[in-house]
Amino acid sequence: MKEHEPFTSGHEPGRGYHDIGGLDYGPVDAKVTDARPWEKLSIVVGNALGANGAKVIRTDETRRTREELGEELYNELGYFERGIESMRRLLVEKGVLSDAEIDARMEKIARNMARVGR
Amino acid sequence: MTGKLEAGDRVRIASVNPPGHRRTPFYIRGKEGVIERACGEFANPEELGHGFDGLPKKRLYRVRFKQTDLWADYTGGPADTVDVDVYEHWLQPLPAKPQGQGDRA
Amino acid sequence: MSAEHEHAHDHEHEHGHDHAHAHGHEHAHDHDHGAPHPLAADDTSPPGRYELMIMAMRDLLIEKDVITAEQVRKGFETLDSWQPARGAQIVARAWTDPAYKARLLADGNEAIADFGLNMGGAKLTVVENTDDVQNVIVCTLCSCYPRAVLGLPPDWYRSKAYRARVVVEPRAVVKELGLDLPDDVAIRVHDSLADLRYLVIPRRPAGTEGWNEAQLAAIVTRDCMVGVANPQVS
Repeated sequence: MKEHEPFTSGHEPGRGYHDIGGLDYGPVDAKVTDARPWEKLSIVVGNALGANGAKVIRTDETRRTREELGEELYNELGYFERGIESMRRLLVEKGVLSDAEIDARMEKIARNMARVGR
Repeated sequence: MTGKLEAGDRVRIASVNPPGHRRTPFYIRGKEGVIERACGEFANPEELGHGFDGLPKKRLYRVRFKQTDLWADYTGGPADTVDVDVYEHWLQPLPAKPQGQGDRA
Repeated sequence: MSAEHEHAHDHEHEHGHDHAHAHGHEHAHDHDHGAPHPLAADDTSPPGRYELMIMAMRDLLIEKDVITAEQVRKGFETLDSWQPARGAQIVARAWTDPAYKARLLADGNEAIADFGLNMGGAKLTVVENTDDVQNVIVCTLCSCYPRAVLGLPPDWYRSKAYRARVVVEPRAVVKELGLDLPDDVAIRVHDSLADLRYLVIPRRPAGTEGWNEAQLAAIVTRDCMVGVANPQVS
C-alpha cells in the first residue's frame, strides 16, 4: 500500500477533519517522550475546570471546540496545543475569560521571562 | 429512538453526516454490525458538547464490525473486527440474517 | 537548587508584591500556583505560544476565583499518581485471582475501587486477550485513554498515524510498534469514543508459575494494556 494515499473511505464530503479513522498518515513513530510541565499544566487546569472540579467546562465541550479549530490549525497544532487552544475558545465563549485579557497576560509573562529567564 | 437492543442483534449505522459534535466515526456510517453488548445509559455527548444537559440519557452499545465489511481492500484475516461505542440514535435495527441455521423469527 | 532559590529571592526583593509574573512569578508557581518550573532554571529559550497561553489562563482563572491554586497543586499530584503501574497491579490481581478477574470484566469501575481508584465520569471496560484474539485500543476521534489507570497517553497513541491507521491495518500498525502477531491470531480493535475507556488484560506468559502479584505486575507494561505488546519473561 502506498504511503499517504487515502483508504477506501477517505476524504468524502461531510467528514470532519478530526474524524480520521481509516485514512493514511504514514508510519507510526514509536518514540515516547515525557510530557513537559506546561503540557501537564494544561491537563491539570482542564481537570480543575471540569466535572470533578469547578464544573465550568465539560470534556464534550472541549472536544467540540477542538473540532471547530479549523482544519489548518487542527493539523498544525500538537495534542496539548489543541487542548489549550480549545480550552481558551471555550472559556471565551462562556464569558469566563476574554481574548484581550488572555493576550495581555501572555505578553506580560513573556516579557518577564525574556528579562529574567524561566 | 430504537427499542432496547441485545447482544447478537444486527444493526446498521445511520448513513448521515450532520454538522455539530458527533461521536460516531465516519468510517462506520452506513455500515452493518452486530451488537456485542449494551453498555448502559449516558447523557448524550452530542448534546453535552453544545452546552445542553444531554437528557434524556441515551443507551450506549458496543457494536462489532467485521473488518472485511468496513474496508473493501482489507488485507488482514476474516476474523479481524472493530468494536465501536455507538449511541442508540445512530442505530437502525436490521432483521436477523435470512440465510444460515438458527435464525430467529 | 540554592542558586535558583537565590535568583527568585532577588527577584522578589526587586519587585516586591508584584507577584503574577516573571521569575518570581514562576517561582511562585511552585508554592502559590502549584506548577513546577517549566524547564530547568537556567533554560533561557523563549516559551512557546501555548506554554504562555496555559500559564496566562491558569493565572487569570485563579485570580478570578474560578479555580484555586490549591486545586492546581493537588492536580499535579493527582496527575503524577496516574501511572501504568496502577493498571499493571490490576492485571496482576486478575491473573492470580479468577474471582477478581470476573468482577473486573463485568464492571471495571467496581473492581478497581479495590485499589482505591476511580475513573471520574468514564466507564472502564476491560477486555481479555486469548490464544485466538488480541485486543487493541484506540480513539480515532480524539485520544480517549484510561488515564486513571495508565497515565497520560504516549506520543504514538496521540498521533494521527496511529488514530487513523490502526482501525484499517492493525497488523501493520502493531508491527511498527514492535508486536509481530501470528496470522492465526485475530485482532479486535476497540475504538473508544466518549464514555467508555478500555484496558486490556494480556495473556499471562508461560514461565510465571508461582510468581506473586508484584513480580507479575513488573512484566505488564503500558503497551501490553493498550494491546500493542505482550508481556515478556526474560
